Amino acid sequence: MRELVTVQVGEFANFVGSHFWNFQDELIGLAVDPFGDAVFQNQHLNMDVLYRSGETQQGVPTYTPRLVSVGFEGGLGSVSARGTLYNDDADTPSDIVTWRGNVATHHTEPRKKNLFLQSLSEEDQENLVNGKNSGREEIEDKDIVECLERDVTFWTDFSKVHYHPQSLYQFNGSWVDAREFDNYGIGKESFSWSLQGEEIDERLRFFVEECDHIQGFQFIVDDSGGFSAIAGDFLESIADEYSNTPVLLFRVQRPSSNMLRENKRQIVSRDLHDAVSFARLSSFCQLCVPVGLPSLSRSKATTHLCIDDQKPYHCSAVYAAALHSIGLPLRMEAHGPTTDSCYVSGAVHVNDMVQMLAGQGRQNMVTILDVAMPAPSLSGKHLGQSLLGSLQPLTPEVNDDAEDLLTLESMTVHGVFGSEGERASVSKLKDQISAAYEGETVRPMLCHLSAAQCPLPVPLPFPSIFGNLVGQHGQLLATPIPGASSRGSLDVHSIPMAARLRSSNAVLPFLERRLRNLLRHGTQGSSAAPLLRSWGFGREELEDMGESLSKMVLALNPHSLSSSDSD
Amino acid sequence: MSLRVLNPNAEVLNKSAALHMNINAAKGLQDVLKSNLGPKGTIKMLVGGAGDIKLTKDGNTLLKEMQIQNPTAIMIARTAVAQDDTSGDGTTSTVIFIGELMKQSERYIDEGMHPRVLVDGFEIAKRATLQFLEKFKTPIVVGDEPDKEILKMVARTTLRTKLYEALADQLTDIVVNAVLCIRKPEEAIDLFMVEIMHMRHKFDIDTRLVEGLVLDHGSRHPDMKRRAENCYILTSNVSLEYDKSEINAGFFYSNAEQREAMVAAERRQVDERVKKIIELKNKVCAGNDKNFVVINQKGIDPPSLDLLAREGIIALRRAKRRNMERLVLACGGEAINSVENLTPDCLGWAGLVYEHVLGEEKYTFVENVKNPHSCTILIKGPNDHTIAQIKDAVRDGLRAVKNTIEDESVVMGAGSFEVAARQYLINEVKKTVQGRAQLGVEAFADALLVVPKTLAENSGLDTQDVLIALKGAHDRGNIVGLNQHTGEPIDPQIEGIFDNYSVKRQIINSGPVIASQLLLVDEVIRAGRNMRKPT
Repeated sequence: MRELVTVQVGEFANFVGSHFWNFQDELIGLAVDPFGDAVFQNQHLNMDVLYRSGETQQGVPTYTPRLVSVGFEGGLGSVSARGTLYNDDADTPSDIVTWRGNVATHHTEPRKKNLFLQSLSEEDQENLVNGKNSGREEIEDKDIVECLERDVTFWTDFSKVHYHPQSLYQFNGSWVDAREFDNYGIGKESFSWSLQGEEIDERLRFFVEECDHIQGFQFIVDDSGGFSAIAGDFLESIADEYSNTPVLLFRVQRPSSNMLRENKRQIVSRDLHDAVSFARLSSFCQLCVPVGLPSLSRSKATTHLCIDDQKPYHCSAVYAAALHSIGLPLRMEAHGPTTDSCYVSGAVHVNDMVQMLAGQGRQNMVTILDVAMPAPSLSGKHLGQSLLGSLQPLTPEVNDDAEDLLTLESMTVHGVFGSEGERASVSKLKDQISAAYEGETVRPMLCHLSAAQCPLPVPLPFPSIFGNLVGQHGQLLATPIPGASSRGSLDVHSIPMAARLRSSNAVLPFLERRLRNLLRHGTQGSSAAPLLRSWGFGREELEDMGESLSKMVLALNPHSLSSSDSD
Repeated sequence: MSLRVLNPNAEVLNKSAALHMNINAAKGLQDVLKSNLGPKGTIKMLVGGAGDIKLTKDGNTLLKEMQIQNPTAIMIARTAVAQDDTSGDGTTSTVIFIGELMKQSERYIDEGMHPRVLVDGFEIAKRATLQFLEKFKTPIVVGDEPDKEILKMVARTTLRTKLYEALADQLTDIVVNAVLCIRKPEEAIDLFMVEIMHMRHKFDIDTRLVEGLVLDHGSRHPDMKRRAENCYILTSNVSLEYDKSEINAGFFYSNAEQREAMVAAERRQVDERVKKIIELKNKVCAGNDKNFVVINQKGIDPPSLDLLAREGIIALRRAKRRNMERLVLACGGEAINSVENLTPDCLGWAGLVYEHVLGEEKYTFVENVKNPHSCTILIKGPNDHTIAQIKDAVRDGLRAVKNTIEDESVVMGAGSFEVAARQYLINEVKKTVQGRAQLGVEAFADALLVVPKTLAENSGLDTQDVLIALKGAHDRGNIVGLNQHTGEPIDPQIEGIFDNYSVKRQIINSGPVIASQLLLVDEVIRAGRNMRKPT
């Protein structure tokens, strides 16, 4: 077993993470549920890769994510940063033992727990008094789902996971308005890594020290504002301290709220932020996956989903599902080289994945994330082809018509149905998909396929985003279900998924735009030069960034040299 | 005015309104912080929206917790926090001093005086006060053996403003001994060489100084000893886990056998490194009862731990980077980056190494070291907020001792300096100033009194009585501070109440600068972002 340590930096990253951990929690619960679906009881996934076992000072065993999350103070809503597992009852907070003089108490208005969190804490209480039903009114699942659909303010509002007290780091904004925390410069200004970063490093070290043999970091960063700067410093410190441990970076962004509102200055600032933060973040990881479309609801990836772009609760669910699928091979139980399990196949480690996608050929480390949610079943004439065709990018600014013979892919398919409506066996899946690739006109140079039988479980706190063509087990129906237009966790219990990391020149528009903006605004004398200076970038640093970006572009498109300045 | 044209939404405040906005903001901040000041101040318990508790009597911590939105207040807060960053204390004093300067100025401005004149007076008064401070300070001889008593007095003065007396006095010895331990002649004091470790366990009063190091992790092998005496310490930064040394090697296995062979080869390399360490152990420990401890900054995987455990070696992995430096200073030897050419000279020494387990948390104590230049303050407390508050106080105490050694002087406290400086400004400096700038000097002088005034207020004393008594005693030729219990004048020297010279100096320097900027503002334009960074 080789451990993964997860890092989430920034609000939207924590939203994505919250869904991600809910999936894991659901899998753990279903695996031991005697009445559950057999497919969940034989997952052949090793949860210890993501989770750690510990115990409280009272000797109570705990099982918590191996996670460091960075967010704004106050961003946890009604949930305590210490979590609830490690609070001993002897703790009497009203006693002040260090001061004998006057005491002034300042209470922040306590955050009211929403229905879902109320039901969680009631469950905890009941466990304490040995399952005695206190006769209190049960909170109905239906109300919980509705309540979450109406209002989710914090990522903790829908999280059902117990976190370790070391996991949730809260960064004190020191008088920065959260709304103004929207670019690289302000993040850099309000968070000094040399002064405040040490605590984050310490928390990460706590989790790494426990690992017998860490395989890598999966790092999710909210790249919409100041958190990019904090993440950049964090990644630099990781690269420095754990130099041989690969970092898998997911750069997430929520759909841009409102482009019209922006004036020219804001657009320049935004462009620069994107360029600078991408250049910096990508320089400290081994594989970078940009995730987050400007409008998720109107993208092809959400054909069978009803997304409200304004709701991070919605969008993050899709991204989290894709991240979950991509990460499955990293914790499949490895078997002997000859005996492929009938439940899982294609186990890899982070390092293998990095080598496959970025370590050969063009050495391109910026990959596209494609997803099919839900993945269609392997039925009909074309079998696998429909599955390949349903994979659509979640990476922005991708060239849809790119024909790239040098494409490298790592694909995970899990929980997909066969032609008879049964769960397709892993071997059948592999055969079908290879066959489908044979039939394609433009084939990737290499495609690593990982497959599992276990689908994505839909936990109770999950947005109602499924369209009326999605059945109870995520199968696509021929005729719409009458009634509600969108279906949630009460109607849909699991989803077959396919997701793919694709190293291809289709990512060029994404790279080129960043390079172009950096060159245009970053040169001396440009109107944006003072802005960059105020963000603390010197000329040399900008030149280095430009160079590394153009290297990335060149690797994918050797002819781009002449065209990059034409804009 | 062009700004208003550009942004029609910008709200423009005229001069007088802007000025009063600034004054009110400064006064508001002063009101919040002034109850913090001194050993009779009020501790603040902050209960967050989710029930999280923070406990603080530190102006710096309190400011950072506050959701300040007023741009003037933010500007003052930034100055005060910067004060803490550079000198380690004086945040509360800076804020109340700026507030008082603004308050005093308000009186004159309301009578129609131009702020410019006041600001000129401030400048003169500031320079005079700084000169006076040079005369007033008490120089101390540091030399090779600094006077421990005076260091203790300074540390005690600051700690007693943060913690109850018995605990403050206990910590006084701890912080003074800690700084003296890490101090090297002719070198700047690096407080990072004092590790501050905490345990959620027992009582505040169990906090102690460990001469040596406490690490917040233990060995990861069941067969390794939990306690060992007479230990050689190897401080290393060498990877003892199997990893592909080059992640971008681009190497691909064409079949499973090849992969196995590759893994075996890599594994052998790691084993070789472990063997080198074992060789050294056998060299130094053969035929005696000495033990061997490896403390490594990089990882050590289970096979390597096995090899080491079999030889009776205790091994810790993933030590903090800074502990590499501290270990060498505490135990001797040197930190090694490679296992080539290992010699016994690389090794440090500790009389006792043992592990302490609290639930899932493990601590390793490296103690009984010879001639240490690094040490650990081990803070204990029943809960997180108690620990955090003691930690803040310890930091302040360490800084106070460091400042004293570096300043080679101290300033008598309990408000005595402020009273003396005020009398000096009024009785001597004011006369030498031409014209209305005199009033600026007067305002500045009166503002200085905010320190004894607030100390008296926090002790529940009548501020007027106290000030009259203090001024009177001062004019009879004594240096007097305030007795917080009785309100009577006391001699701070006899009572052992001393403040840091550099902290005082910086308060006097920065306070008037900010106050002047706030007074001279012509108009305030509220246009969103521009307000955020007024400097």
